[in-house]
Amino acid sequence: MHLAHLRLRDFRNYARLDVDFAPGFHLLLGDNAQGKTNILEAAYLVATLRSFRGIGGAHMVRHGQKGYFVGSQVVGQGEHETKMYWSARERSLSLDNQPVRKLTDYLGVLRTVVFCSEDTLLVKGPGRARRRFLDLLLSQTHPTYLSLLQRYALALRSRNALLKRPLVDAAALESFSRELISAGEVIMRLRHELVPKFSPLARLAYRRISNDAEDLRLDYLSSVKHDFAVDLAQSQARERTYRSTLIGPHRDEVQMLLNDRPAGQFGSEGQKRTLAIALKVAQAEYLTGLHGSPPVLLMDDIMGELDLKRRTGLLPLLERAHVARGQVFMTATEANWPKELGRDVQRWIVKGGTLASL
Amino acid sequence: MPLLPEHISALIGALSKLPGVGPRSAERIALHLVQADPAAVQHLATALVDARERVRLCDTCGALTEKSPCGICTDSRRDAFLICLVERPVDILSVEKSATFRGKYHVLGGKISPLNGVEPDDLRIAALERRIPDEHIKEIVIALGTDVEGDATSFYLAKRLAREGLRLTRIAHGLPAGTGLEFADEVTLSRALEGRREF
Ligand SMILES: Nc1ncnc2c1ncn2[C@@H]1O[C@H](COP(=O)(O)OP(=O)(O)OP(=O)(O)O)[C@@H](O)[C@H]1O
Ligand SMILES: [Mg+2]
Ligand SMILES: [Zn+2]
Repeated sequence: MHLAHLRLRDFRNYARLDVDFAPGFHLLLGDNAQGKTNILEAAYLVATLRSFRGIGGAHMVRHGQKGYFVGSQVVGQGEHETKMYWSARERSLSLDNQPVRKLTDYLGVLRTVVFCSEDTLLVKGPGRARRRFLDLLLSQTHPTYLSLLQRYALALRSRNALLKRPLVDAAALESFSRELISAGEVIMRLRHELVPKFSPLARLAYRRISNDAEDLRLDYLSSVKHDFAVDLAQSQARERTYRSTLIGPHRDEVQMLLNDRPAGQFGSEGQKRTLAIALKVAQAEYLTGLHGSPPVLLMDDIMGELDLKRRTGLLPLLERAHVARGQVFMTATEANWPKELGRDVQRWIVKGGTLASL
Repeated sequence: MPLLPEHISALIGALSKLPGVGPRSAERIALHLVQADPAAVQHLATALVDARERVRLCDTCGALTEKSPCGICTDSRRDAFLICLVERPVDILSVEKSATFRGKYHVLGGKISPLNGVEPDDLRIAALERRIPDEHIKEIVIALGTDVEGDATSFYLAKRLAREGLRLTRIAHGLPAGTGLEFADEVTLSRALEGRREF
């Protein structure tokens, strides 16, 4: 799968851009604040309809303009054309010139995995970050997972609203508990099934990057010990005290152990960074295994943070993407680009919102 | 930006409050109206006022009607002991279009929605509970949407309405998960009605 063409209008610092990308390795070089990350952001937007910088559409509109347009051509099993327009007043999204009705029809046209420095939050950050990581992976691989998550979130918020009332309506609460349980049980089962499949991939990736230093293991720790319905009923008294739902997939954790110790607490900065990258590598491997072709890798400035040994550990993954007619986009400043990548690299110079091939 | 005459701005403001009318279409409609044949505009204004004045809710079932009780409630060819429970008046139209249901209706007027402050008491449940003995109702088909709030409301009602001699069924299973009746096409809906299931 690869992003064959990208068209930007008034997106970030790009007034207009039309560029073709072949499969393979693309290195986006340039000084700071020239628009390298913005290209990755646009590719990620095509894939997920969100920014990986975790911000809304308004930030992505070029200053002083009304709206942005991001269009693409993606070559995978077939060829697809995507068009997206966003302004405060108007949004539109089309796939192959048909308006998109359901997100599930759209998501999956382009699959990407982003590597960026915020990834260390997967290790250092709150449990929410790790749950979101699992949820994202399941959404990319399971057709109904996204709507399950939405149902769960709505049941949870409704239930919490009921618990906050001065007088709790037990019958109404029970009706929403039932919704919470039916969506929550499937979510927990899918996460429970995913983690043991994912853990060995992460372990292997960690070993390769860190040159065999420590042993990584992931475990899914559920807030539900036996049965969601039974446990929820038992938490009733505490629920009434705290006025919110205390157990369920929204409270579960993914534990990350390095040599049997929680990495978030005991890992060094370097270990945390390596672990974060290993998770993303494992994500890419998992998607490749499932779909038979690698996702497009978007790597934002991460090579600069790694020492030569660790960079070398990453190379096989990058080369494999290359062989399988996949695609890698990597940003770097001239000073720190990984020269060991060799000759088969398409280099681009990014300068003030323009892209020129070298 | 060129300044529009005051009355056009006011018209745009009023139009854009309508459902499904964004600022752009409001502007387009307003500019059309102020340049249209005055008789046509008068006709539209009269139609608006007449419709609002004459249309009301049926005191029995909650359907939109010009006289209460409505045509469906007074239709003697319909099964008087069977009620289809729907969320909004427009849902009656969807069910009627499927042409498989021959009973009467009851409009709930919404669904339980804690996030929007809608509680069971805000819905026409008590009125339905009165109809059950008064009209000797034998079966209620609960035909609410299958989104989270619709499902929770169906479950709530199944418990609350349960009583001796009353059959409670629901049609939700034929509908794609998470949808309301208005999105179900006629074939899906009639199949769902035929295959209604006991709770
Ligand atoms: N909405 C916007 N409109 C116009 N310009 C924007 C907008 N958002 C960001 N920019 C500009 O884009 C540039 C930053 O782009 P980007 O983040 O891609 O930089 P970069 O090349 O990745 O830099 P670095 O090497 O520092 O990461 C800045 O010059 C910034 O002012
Ligand atoms: Mg950058
Ligand atoms: Zn009536």
